[in-house]
Amino acid sequence: MLHLIKYQFLQTVREWSVMFWALGFPVILGSLFYMSFGTSIGNGNFGEDMEVIRTAIVEEDKQTDDKEVFLSFLEELDGDVLETEVMEEEEALLALKADEVEGIFYAGKEPGLTVAKSDLQQSILKALLDTYKKNTEMIKAVGTAHPEAIGEAVKALEEWRETTEELSVGGRTLNPNISYFFALIAYTALSGVYLGIKACCESQANLSALGARRCVTPTHKLKLILGNFFVLFTIQFINVTALTGIVQFVFQIDLGGNAGGILFINLFGSMIGVSLGTLVGSISRFSLGMKMGFGVLFTLFPGFLAGLMFGNMKNLIEQYCPVINRINPAAVLSDSYYCMAVYNDTERMARNLLILAVMCAVCVAASFIVVRRERYDSI
Amino acid sequence: MSMVTITNLVKRYGSLVALDHLNLEIEEGEIYGLLGPNGSGKTTAINCMLAILKYDKGSIRIMDKEMKPDCYEVKRNIGVVMQNVAVFEQMSVWENIDYFCGLYIRDKKRRQELVEEAIQFVGLEDFRKMRPKKLSGGLLRRLNIACGIAHKPKLIIMDEPTVAVDPQSRNKILEGILELNRQGTTIIYTSHYMEEVEQICTRIAIMDHGQVLATGTKEELKSMIKTGETITIEAVALSEEQLAQMGELPHVFQVTYEEQVLKLRLSGAKHNLVRILHYLEEKDIAFGRVFSELPTLNDVFLEITGKELRD
Repeated sequence: MLHLIKYQFLQTVREWSVMFWALGFPVILGSLFYMSFGTSIGNGNFGEDMEVIRTAIVEEDKQTDDKEVFLSFLEELDGDVLETEVMEEEEALLALKADEVEGIFYAGKEPGLTVAKSDLQQSILKALLDTYKKNTEMIKAVGTAHPEAIGEAVKALEEWRETTEELSVGGRTLNPNISYFFALIAYTALSGVYLGIKACCESQANLSALGARRCVTPTHKLKLILGNFFVLFTIQFINVTALTGIVQFVFQIDLGGNAGGILFINLFGSMIGVSLGTLVGSISRFSLGMKMGFGVLFTLFPGFLAGLMFGNMKNLIEQYCPVINRINPAAVLSDSYYCMAVYNDTERMARNLLILAVMCAVCVAASFIVVRRERYDSI
Repeated sequence: MSMVTITNLVKRYGSLVALDHLNLEIEEGEIYGLLGPNGSGKTTAINCMLAILKYDKGSIRIMDKEMKPDCYEVKRNIGVVMQNVAVFEQMSVWENIDYFCGLYIRDKKRRQELVEEAIQFVGLEDFRKMRPKKLSGGLLRRLNIACGIAHKPKLIIMDEPTVAVDPQSRNKILEGILELNRQGTTIIYTSHYMEEVEQICTRIAIMDHGQVLATGTKEELKSMIKTGETITIEAVALSEEQLAQMGELPHVFQVTYEEQVLKLRLSGAKHNLVRILHYLEEKDIAFGRVFSELPTLNDVFLEITGKELRD
């Protein structure tokens, strides 16, 4: 068995194209994420509180109720999200031009915003203004239609704000961009598909000459398959752990600090990747190239659904078709990392890992039924 | 003692009959050639023998045991050289041979000796650490052979091992096969190159359409056919009458004339060439080069099937 393990290990790690897709590509993708979110990563404390946004407030002369309400709204955010300073309009515009502030809020009868760039900070300022406008319009509408219910409406708005505030049970404040990195790690785990496909093709007589040569030896097929699976799983586990290490220590992204937990999820992630590859590799007589194409599909598409390309995708699916998030291995994995790093929700994580274990068992059983076949109809 | 016995083997791919009641009896110590054109069923027969291909009917016994996928003891004594090169691109020559040898031999020390012997046997001493993609086609074929025979099996099955190989490597391979046989190994050798089969095989089965058409030594096979000699003459503008007259000459049973090349097939007899040349002189027919050939396996195949071996 050691002989099989040694040579399977050697030939897998020396297969650069497969190793590139399994580890190199995710590392490149992660680096691109890191560079793209550079602004929000700031001083490297990605996942910690974001920096406050320096903002100027220009008050119009006329005193109105609307102006007072808006000023008190901004005051609430001061120090937490914003760092505000009341200025004259001319002074504020100069400050904006000199990049000393990110935007100017106008407090008057109609609240307004002026920005000079189109960056994340400016988007946040606009989102704040939009939220304010929407809420005040809603309260005005309630006040006109049902003046007696205005108190309840205000209370409901406050409650909504309380329930939607992003606070982790583990005491962490979440940067929404971290979901990209969880999806990336999940995608990397699924990249074990490539390893599984190649190894499977090389152990079946009807798929490759190497498979035929192995099948005519006196080594039991189950022994060959188990040896392969063990090696591929180990290599993939090292790959995923290497990526999590890069994310945590090179990109300085806080994955929750629970190394044991992360390794445990990596373990399941590696298993699902390799078993899915084994299944794809064994299930039909497509060429290796075509199967690798399926491998791309089975890694990128679940990755996309888990939020690899569009961070909010997983939430949208959760809203409209949650069952996809339950059966998509990338989403299940990504959610497990989330549970570990953000929610500290061990129950949900255990459920996710159970789903992954079942998926692995199904994939391995199905592929074994095909691969164990000892004689083929055609070669 | 019989090494391989195949009885009434039938293999169908849908409506296509790949093996049609194939019967073979291969004795221990033979180099048994399976000769036939592409698609004649040679590789199918071998895959059935190796228990990796299902068949519809018949039985295969190797080393006196019914061959099944779980006949590990029988498999331990079989070496296979596949038609397609089956080696790992990512491993060196030495590692490849060691890997495949290790699937048969567990003892590491013994294995290392065998790997070294196999490397010397195929002449890859200078390429031990090279990866397969850096080897030429001929060297790659030699590596393919080394991977199949390193464990010193009693029976070696070689499926067209010299396809796309340069003459130097081909000679090296053929010499190696004869040496293995001298050491006591039984060899089943498939090819569509009749010269190779003629050169090394002690017994030959001629196959076509999944059937064995004839078996025997090369001499026995040649004696089965009418052709004893083929005379080829370059001659210009022969008339139909002259061709008909030549067909009437003693022992001539076939006359063909294409592109100014006259080909006469004659049954075995002395002085055939003298008689033909005498006729040409008598009729004052100008002629160029003249060849006289004894029958080949291609003639055997041609007479049995009505087509050339490489059609």
